[in-house]
This record gives sequence, structure tokens and C-alpha cells, in this order.
Amino acid sequence: MRLYAAAIYLFLYGPIALIVVFSFNAGRHAASFECCGTSWYGRTFNNQFLLEALYTSLLVAGTTAILATIMGTMAALALQRVRGPLRVVYDAMTYIAIIIPGIVIGIATLVALVTAFDAINPLLAALWPGGAKAAPQLGLGYASVIAAHTLFTMALVIVIVRARIQGMDRSLIEASADLYATPWRTFRQVTLPQIFPAVMAGFLLSFTFSFDDFIIAFFVAGSKTTLPIYIFSSIRRGITPETNVIATLVLGVSLTLLISAQLLMRRRAGAAGSN
Amino acid sequence: MMKRAGIRSGNGVTAMLLLPTTLWFLLLLVMPLVVILVFSFGERAPAGGYQAAFTFEQYLNLPARLKAFTNTLTLAPLGTLICVLMAYPLAYYLAVRAGERVKVMLLVLVIVPFWTSFLIRTYAWIYILGGRGIPQLLELVGIEDVRLINTPTAVLIGIVYGYLPLMIFPIYVSLEKLDKRLLEASGDLGASPWRTFLQVTLPLSAPGLVTGSLLVFILLMGEYLIPALLGGGKVFFVGNALVDLFLQSRNWPYGSAVAIGLVAIMMVAIAIYLAMVGRQQARDDVSLV
Amino acid sequence: MSRNDDNAPISAKEFINELWRYKNGSVSRRHFLGVTGLGAATAVMATAMPGLVGSGRARAAGNIGDRVSIATWPNYYSQDNYDAFTKESGANIQISVFGSNEEMLAKLQAGGTGWDVFVPTNYTISTYVDLDLIQPLDLSRLPNFDEKHYIKRFIEPGTVNGKVYAVPKNWGTTGFVLNRNKITSNPTTWKEFWDLAKGEASSRVMVHDYQLTTIGNALKYFGYSFNSIDPKELGDAEKLLLEVKPHLFAINSDYQPGMRSGDAWMSIAWTGDGLQLNRDMPEIDYVLGQEGGELWSDFYAIPKEAPHLDAAYALINFLIDPKVNAAEVAVHGYPVPDNRTTALLPKEMTDNPIMYPAQELLNALEFGAAVTLTDPLRAEIMARFKAA
Repeated sequence: MRLYAAAIYLFLYGPIALIVVFSFNAGRHAASFECCGTSWYGRTFNNQFLLEALYTSLLVAGTTAILATIMGTMAALALQRVRGPLRVVYDAMTYIAIIIPGIVIGIATLVALVTAFDAINPLLAALWPGGAKAAPQLGLGYASVIAAHTLFTMALVIVIVRARIQGMDRSLIEASADLYATPWRTFRQVTLPQIFPAVMAGFLLSFTFSFDDFIIAFFVAGSKTTLPIYIFSSIRRGITPETNVIATLVLGVSLTLLISAQLLMRRRAGAAGSN
Repeated sequence: MMKRAGIRSGNGVTAMLLLPTTLWFLLLLVMPLVVILVFSFGERAPAGGYQAAFTFEQYLNLPARLKAFTNTLTLAPLGTLICVLMAYPLAYYLAVRAGERVKVMLLVLVIVPFWTSFLIRTYAWIYILGGRGIPQLLELVGIEDVRLINTPTAVLIGIVYGYLPLMIFPIYVSLEKLDKRLLEASGDLGASPWRTFLQVTLPLSAPGLVTGSLLVFILLMGEYLIPALLGGGKVFFVGNALVDLFLQSRNWPYGSAVAIGLVAIMMVAIAIYLAMVGRQQARDDVSLV
Repeated sequence: MSRNDDNAPISAKEFINELWRYKNGSVSRRHFLGVTGLGAATAVMATAMPGLVGSGRARAAGNIGDRVSIATWPNYYSQDNYDAFTKESGANIQISVFGSNEEMLAKLQAGGTGWDVFVPTNYTISTYVDLDLIQPLDLSRLPNFDEKHYIKRFIEPGTVNGKVYAVPKNWGTTGFVLNRNKITSNPTTWKEFWDLAKGEASSRVMVHDYQLTTIGNALKYFGYSFNSIDPKELGDAEKLLLEVKPHLFAINSDYQPGMRSGDAWMSIAWTGDGLQLNRDMPEIDYVLGQEGGELWSDFYAIPKEAPHLDAAYALINFLIDPKVNAAEVAVHGYPVPDNRTTALLPKEMTDNPIMYPAQELLNALEFGAAVTLTDPLRAEIMARFKAA
């Protein structure tokens, strides 16, 4: 059993280790490995487009996660009070948003937006008070990626938070209402603390999904380059060790985050224990 | 009077809370789907793109992508199955056998790959499966002329590698909730470990299995990257055919029809799967009683 | 070595050795440029002649912003030249690589590419004009462009309805590369290419992810025109392609990694990739099918919605500077229709039969025809072939 577990971890981490090793390539091409140097790290840190892609991805994922978490939580709370056909429709929408493959969402959003922009832009140009030259032109970009990512992730948040609400102790809410707490106060002091772990999980999942999504962004990002799009195009351009450096850095950051989160939780648990 | 006003304002609050998600569903789910549905009955414009028409031609032409559909419909379930088979023992080990201290670390190690770029994890296999990877190693031990990259096997390996962590987690969660005293009780009653597993552990972990395999299956049905990177344009999924139709041959109406076809097939497959699982579970419940 | 020797001519073999030592990083850029004499101009530019190319360009460019985005083809540029541009102008170059004109067209049709410069092939330009996706060039902003130095037939496709929309980048041929260590027979025709793919070289052959060349050369199997849009002829080509499909290693327009790793033994290929592969691995040869095939020229052009117009002009003007262009050719091995640039190339390159094939082989080649780009049947056959 233990041997099996070890084998699985080897399978999971072997390729990742390979990439980390290859990131210390001193040669010019990724295809041949010359040990060892950090020259590609220097190049990577100076790569303006890579840094921008990273920034774009952080911005997109951050905004997506915030929007999805707030909107999804709001909907999950409201849905407790909705019954009947409206509820059925809503649940269907939620599941469809989750089930439909990203590639279909990407394509459908692209086609719909391009068609809509083609209709709206001439109108804007014709009606704009400052004249056609000054009229803004709608196009694909941050907004379209964030909007498309938010669709899937908010559905995810709805499902996660709703599951938590169902398992929640309702008597507390009733008690709070009986004590004449305002609904807002009840929400802040009773409901939110109870559903918080689910909200947090929804936020993290949304962020992770959006940060790592390639296919939706590939279709609707327009001229914006997210990190996965940058990596994909650098693979097409001919793989250089730079790609491996990026991967190693991403891995390093996520490991640091996870380990520090672990340590933090352990310390908190320890503090709670000593109280 | 007070009470009625309360309900009305309550409804107002509910409507307000639902407003943003409703907008999103309408503008970014319903509208795009309606647009591609409309487009799927249209024609390809002379230079590519869409031109209005009403024809079933695109749907009648769907068999031209049969291979992409069959590839997807064989490799997606197969990949899901292999993920289940590989993930279950590990999830079991983590939930039941592993010591508390190591467990947390091992769990974190399952999560970390999610936070590494999926693209990069996949492309690592281009090295490993390419001519200078495993085939070269095999040559050293005398097995010559093995080709792995750009084969269905390569795509399958990529699939399992990419989605295994996603499968481990839900199974682990459901096994973790399992009351270990049940296992002991079963053993005390003289059941063999195998029987205990089949009659107690497996049914109780079914929710995790269903969640995990649905998750992986859904993602695989729309897969594009793994076949694109490890299939070399030879192992085409529907996702690849779609990218090709929109970003190469510029046949929007046909691409829309393929997309609608994919969604329809997925819905049917999921419905069948859930129906099967549901009946299975019902039977198990009976046998447990 | 004394600096005096720097510009002495060297043999092809020495040149290639030096290039590789340079690429591998064992000699410096300066040493490489000096020893080969190839980049004499670049060296001069950097030191002795201010105002001619380097600083003059930077001044003329004024402030062109911090970026410029170019869409081009695989293995088709010199990173050193691009770095030099960035150093002089302050604009970083964002490079996207595409494997077919269809892919570039699809992107431009969907809009929002953000490209400032792209590299269309001769036969596509009139369609871009028809679809209003490309803008006429202001030649006063391209002082390095001088029509009279260019070979006429390679420059003509850039002019549509009397307006210049594109200036030539390179020209070349479409043939195939093969690894002589792996393939014992000696194919000289497209018929032999496809037959080998089904036989001796099964599972070791690559074709372009590009309908023009892949379908075009399948048409050549039957002796049809490379540009045919006749349904019956295309039907034959599709049948051949579907027959070959299970025997292919991959469908990809960047076949260099496959050929280098030894996974692929043979591939449809363009001039420069043939030269680059042959330079590093002499066992890889570049062959033009005797039945014919494609002769092409690529251009620099500016999309209608280019966001950084100043930078686009600055980049194009920089790259068509004969000295810069010659350094570009030294890396990618595609001939240039600009006589000023060709005059700067070392004899080893101008004598190279991969770059400059025998006249009778060239005579058999055809330019791509505009109609192939938008022909729905060709597009669908390619898509079916890939999805098969």
C-alpha cells in the first residue's frame, strides 16, 4: 500500500522534477540540456511580456474570484427562499454552466460577442456626441475573459455555498431574528461565520480555475495575453528553457503559499489548543 | 400590514441578490448558446465566418467528424476509468491507513499540481514520450523503434497525469467521512477484508466516486490541450475539431453545430451515467438493509 | 586572432562551425560576427558609423512606444536582430508564431489580435484587401524600401489595385526534408514522398498543418495543379491523404523538433527549415519534388487595426535594412528578393542549392493562387483530414 502511494507520487512529481531540472539549462535550446546555469532566470525576469502576462492573469483571476464569490454567495443565500419553477430554472442554469465544456463556452462567447460588437460599434460611431472618431469601440479584452470565467466559477460558488447552507443550523438564525437583530446583522454575525469556509473554498477554486484556464481565454481574450496563453505561444514558438523557468517559479510560489498556509493553520491550532 | 410589507421587501431583497447571477446567466450563458444554435442552421460565408440561412446541412454533415467524436467518447471514459482505478487505492491509503502527521503533507502534495500550470505539466510529457525520452531508454535495453508521442497512448497518459489529482480528492473526502468502526464491526462479524471493502467501504465512498468521475469526465469531453500537445494533430478530440473549425477553416456554422452536438452527447451520457449509478446505489441500499 | 583578419572570407564549413559555436555560446557574438565577416555591417553599425543605421534609426523613430507585436512563422527570425531593435528603439517585440495563412486570417477575422505587423504569403494579400483587414503602406515611412532593388515577380503580389499593402520579407520553395540515415531510397518526386510515407517511412513522416501545401502536394501525386479547386481532383487528393493519415508521425507546421529528435524521418518543408536542419545535421537533405509544387514569397504587412503604427513602421523598416536583413538570412536561411541584401550574403549561401535551386526545378513550381485561401472545399478537406 505504502509502495503504491510512493509510486503514484513519483508519477505525479517525476515530470515536474524534470522541468525544474531543465530550468537550470545553460544552453540556448530546451531540446538539449547543458548543465547548469541560472542564465535563463535572468532572461525570464527581464521579459516584459511574461511579466505582463503574469499581471494579466493575476488581475483576471483576482477579479473573477471576487465577482464569482460575491455573486455566487448572494445567489446561494437568496435561493433558500425560492421555490417552484423559478428554483428549477435556476438550478438548471447553474448545472448547465458547470457542465458545458469550457471550449464551447469560449467559442459561443466569442461568436456572440463578435456578432454583438459588429452590430453595436457602428451604432456607437454614428450616435456618439463627439463624432465617429471619438466613439469608443467595444472589443475583446479583460472584460470578456473575466465575464466568461465568472460564469463557470459563480455557478461553482453557488453549489458549494448552498451545500454549506443546507447543513447549517437554522435555529441560530431564527434566534437572532427573535432577538430583533436586523437581517444584515444576522447575516454578518450568524450566517457569514457559518458559511465562511465554503465561501473561502469557492474563492480559492475560482481563482485557481481562472488562473490556469487556457481554452476560454484563448478565444475571448482578444489581444490580452494571460499566462497560459503566453506559455502556449512560447511552446509554439519553439520551446526554450524559459518556459521551464516559468513553470518552476509558479511551482515555487504555490508550494510556498501552501506550506505557509499549513504552518499558519498549525500554529493557530496550537494556540487554540493551549487556550 | 406590517407582515405583508415585510414579505414584499423580502422578495425585493431576494430579487436583488439574484440579479447579478441572473444577468450573467442570460448574457453569458443563454445568449451565447442561442447564438451558436442560430448559427448552426446557417451557412459558411464565402471567405469564412457566418452568413444567415436556414439549413440542416451542418447537422447532416456531422458524421464528417465521427472520428473526433469516437476518439473523445472512447478516450474520455477510458481515461476516467483509469483515473478511478489509480486514485482509489491512494485515496484509501490517505484516508484510512496514513498516519495523521504524514497525511496532511501527502494531501498538500496532491493539491500542488493543481497550482502548477496544467499546460506545463502536460508539455513535460513531450520530453518524456518523445524520441529522446522513454523510447531511447527502451533502446538501451534492446527494445527498438518504439514510438509513443502522437499516439492515443500518449494522449491517455497525459489525461491520467493531468486529471488524477482531481479524482483523488473527492474520493478521499468521502472515505475520510466513513466511520472506521463500521469496518471494525464488519471484521468482527467475520467478513473477509475483501467483503468488507465491497459491501461497506465501496458503497459508502460512492458519492466521492461519482463526483470525481463526473468532474473528470466532463472536463475530458471538452479537452483540447492534451491531444493538441501529445497527439501531434493525429489524435483529434471534438475540442480539437472545434478549434480547427473556428481558428483554421473558419466554418462558424459547422463549428456551432459540432459544439451543439458535443453538448447534446454530454447531456445524454451524464444522464445515462447518473441513472445507472442511481439504480446501483438503490440496490446497494437494499442489500445493506 | 588579430582584428585585421576579421573580415577575411571563410569557407562554408568554417562559417557553419562558427555559427554553431556561437549558437552554443562557446564564442561571443562579436567573435562570431567578426570571424564570419557576415555581420561586418552589424559590427560597423555598433561602432564606426553612427547615424547610418543604428542611432539614425533610433532618432528617426522618435518615441515609438515600448512594444510592437508581430505574427510570423516558425523558425523565421533572428533573435539577435530583434534584440538589437529593442535596444535601439526601446520597443520590445512580442512574437506569435503561426503554421498557416488560414490561422492568421481566422484570427484577424475574429478581431482584437493586437498585432502591429504580420507576415502574409503572396497569394493571401488580395483577400486581406477585399476583406478590409490590412492597410496600405505609407512608403515614406519605410526609407529602406526601394522597389528598384527587388526581384519583380516577388514584389508584385504586395501591390493590389495600384496600392502597396506589403513589402517583401523572403521568398522560398516548398519541398521536403528527409533523413538519409533513416531512409535508404532516394525520393525525388512527390509521388515517391507519399508512397514512402505509406511504406518504408510509415509513422515517421510529417506534413504541414496548412491546407495549401499539404493538399497541394497531395494533388501533385496525381499530376494535378498545386492550386486545383476542382472537386474531383480534390477528392483524389483527400483519398490519398486519408490513406496516408494512419502512417503519419504528426501534422504540424513546425517539424524541426520532430526531425531533430529523430522521431520524424521526412516532412514537407520550406527552404529555410531545410537549410537550418541540413546545417546542423548534414544527413538531413532538402528535396524539391520534380513534378513541381510551391514557389512563394512572404511579406511584411500591417493589419488595419494595428495598435502601434509607429512601432510597426519602425520594425519593418529596420528589418528590411539590407545589413540587418543579411544577418536575418544568415540565421534562418530563406533567400531575399532584395538584391542589396543578397549582395551582402557570403558566397557559401548564394551557392547553396537549398536556397537557390537549379533553374529547371524552379521552373516547375507554381505560386499559390488566391482562390485556395478561401475555397470552402479545400478548408473542409484539410479539417476532415486532421479529424480523421
